Amino acid sequence: MIRLVLIALSVLSWTAVQAAEPDGQQLFHRKCAMCHGAVGMGTGLLARRMKPEVAQLEKRDDLSAAYVERAARIGVLNMPPITRGDVSDAQLALIARYLSKGKP
Amino acid sequence: MGHQHEKVSHLDAKLTPPPTATLDKALKAMTAVVGSGAVFATEEDRDAYSDRFPIDPHRHRPFAAIAPTTAEEVQALVRIAAAHRVPIWTVSRGKNLGYGTAAPVVAGSIVLDLSRMQKIEVDVENATVLLEPGVGFFDLYDYLQTRNIPLWLSVPGNSWGSVIGNALDRGLGYTPYGEHTRNLCGMEVVLPDGEMIRTGMGAMPNAPSWQLHKYGYGPAWDQLFVQSNFGIVTKAGMWLMPTPEVVRGFDVEMDRMEDLGPLIDTIGPLRREGVLQQSPTIGNWFRAANILTTRHQWTDQPGSLSDEVISAIRKQFGLGWWGVSLRLYGRATVVQANLDILEKALNAIKPMSMKPFTWRPGDPIAPTAGGWMGVPMTFPMQSANWFGGRGGHIGFSPVLTQSGKLAMEQFNRTYARYKEFGMDYQASFAFGERHMLNVNAVLLNLDDPQFMKRVDPFLRTLIADAKAHGYGEYRAHIDYMDLVSDCYDYNHHALRRLNERVKDALDPAGILAPGKSGIWPAAYRKERKA
Repeated sequence: MIRLVLIALSVLSWTAVQAAEPDGQQLFHRKCAMCHGAVGMGTGLLARRMKPEVAQLEKRDDLSAAYVERAARIGVLNMPPITRGDVSDAQLALIARYLSKGKP
Repeated sequence: MGHQHEKVSHLDAKLTPPPTATLDKALKAMTAVVGSGAVFATEEDRDAYSDRFPIDPHRHRPFAAIAPTTAEEVQALVRIAAAHRVPIWTVSRGKNLGYGTAAPVVAGSIVLDLSRMQKIEVDVENATVLLEPGVGFFDLYDYLQTRNIPLWLSVPGNSWGSVIGNALDRGLGYTPYGEHTRNLCGMEVVLPDGEMIRTGMGAMPNAPSWQLHKYGYGPAWDQLFVQSNFGIVTKAGMWLMPTPEVVRGFDVEMDRMEDLGPLIDTIGPLRREGVLQQSPTIGNWFRAANILTTRHQWTDQPGSLSDEVISAIRKQFGLGWWGVSLRLYGRATVVQANLDILEKALNAIKPMSMKPFTWRPGDPIAPTAGGWMGVPMTFPMQSANWFGGRGGHIGFSPVLTQSGKLAMEQFNRTYARYKEFGMDYQASFAFGERHMLNVNAVLLNLDDPQFMKRVDPFLRTLIADAKAHGYGEYRAHIDYMDLVSDCYDYNHHALRRLNERVKDALDPAGILAPGKSGIWPAAYRKERKA
């Protein structure tokens, strides 16, 4: 419902990119999928180091939440670190929980 | 290698950071404005806001970063910085890879990260958008797509960053709106003393034309906030492109190295006349291989890639020595007429191949075609892995004319230097409406210290060669801002002296991005290097 209202007002008033309280999946798509979606720098480079069919992070089942958070903050190989200004600790925790499918 | 490669790197000199006690005090006052959840000052934060594609990763480490969410907070933070005389370095999203990422020129600065300012206001009828600096290309693209708004943006090869930030650094795309700084129309800016202004028609509070008329009345200030350190842009208007009825064109490959001149002399007149309205970019044989493969797949030999390897790469990807994607946008009947003119002109220079392209609304867009269709992308950054490990790129991008002869001469000089320094040649020639940018990428191998030692002397040589022929760069990495600004030296650096008179008048405390684009406030002027 909130979303519908935002769409209706979009042309008339300021609209934040993010609707209120997005979940882990939504945050992943907004903050990570530009590189870790079907086509992107992250998926392209991970496909060199693992089976291409699991190079997309959402298709992995070996990620722990702690690993996702560390990798994002320090950057892995060619991945730039994700700053806390871009993705807050609270947002990253939601993303990590989504990608780890419940593993701590 | 010649003796000039062995001279001591100018990058070794350290810039003076402000005293830590002063920075601590300023940061404490800033935290009171934005809250502790928007202040980042751990060692990990300092690394995260440093340059990711650096020649020396330690040179530009900030003291902290702070992420306001409103323009009013920006005003308050600027006033605190001025009161404590601590330098702040503004980034829109901090993704300017190849030009310093989020890192400041002066180590120990506080990075003002505007990532969290993300408002979007689209005027569909007039094809404009008013944006805050934290809005990325993907954010704006998703916004338009999910609402079925028939407007396109123009995107750069790395679209991870900010729409406004890229325009403020004169970034480039590939559509008729590809010269991004030209799309700017009206700004809201916080000056170094904390005062807020609006430019152009925005100076009239009730004007309905802020995003429609670029100049207002009197001097037009928008470009003074581009590549400068005179203010912090907290909102800017941008023109968007109405979705065309059709996109058509040709993917053209030219077989020989010396075909560059005729190709430029064919495209140039059509661009100046307006038959071509996009910003065509001629690229060399390397443009697919460094994204899709690593160097080890082709050779174990050090030095520049040999002619044999170049032939193998060209064969695998079906490329000429040079290639260009030419696109026509708009009404079908007009595009058809222009396509006939384009086809005739291209046939006259006998391309190796010429593949037609057609897109109509509703057709799928291949990810690799996104650049010409305003679809944001990040896959070109896979070139950071060219050497198989940690890498990156730094650009060398002199402004040329649209002369095939002069461009060929510049290419020959540059290519010889790439071979001399053992670098793999990646270059493009990107058309403006009258000028042409020769965007060269130096691919980095951060895991090889010997290789990295050659990068700085190589870039300095390229910059000096270009300067000797009157070619200066349009944009620079934070390590080269002084050197590039130094090339613009008419009448004993009269332009730089004017910039610094303006800087001192607007920013007497010298807090806003000292050193940006070679502009130093009085307090830091001794830091200038070249």
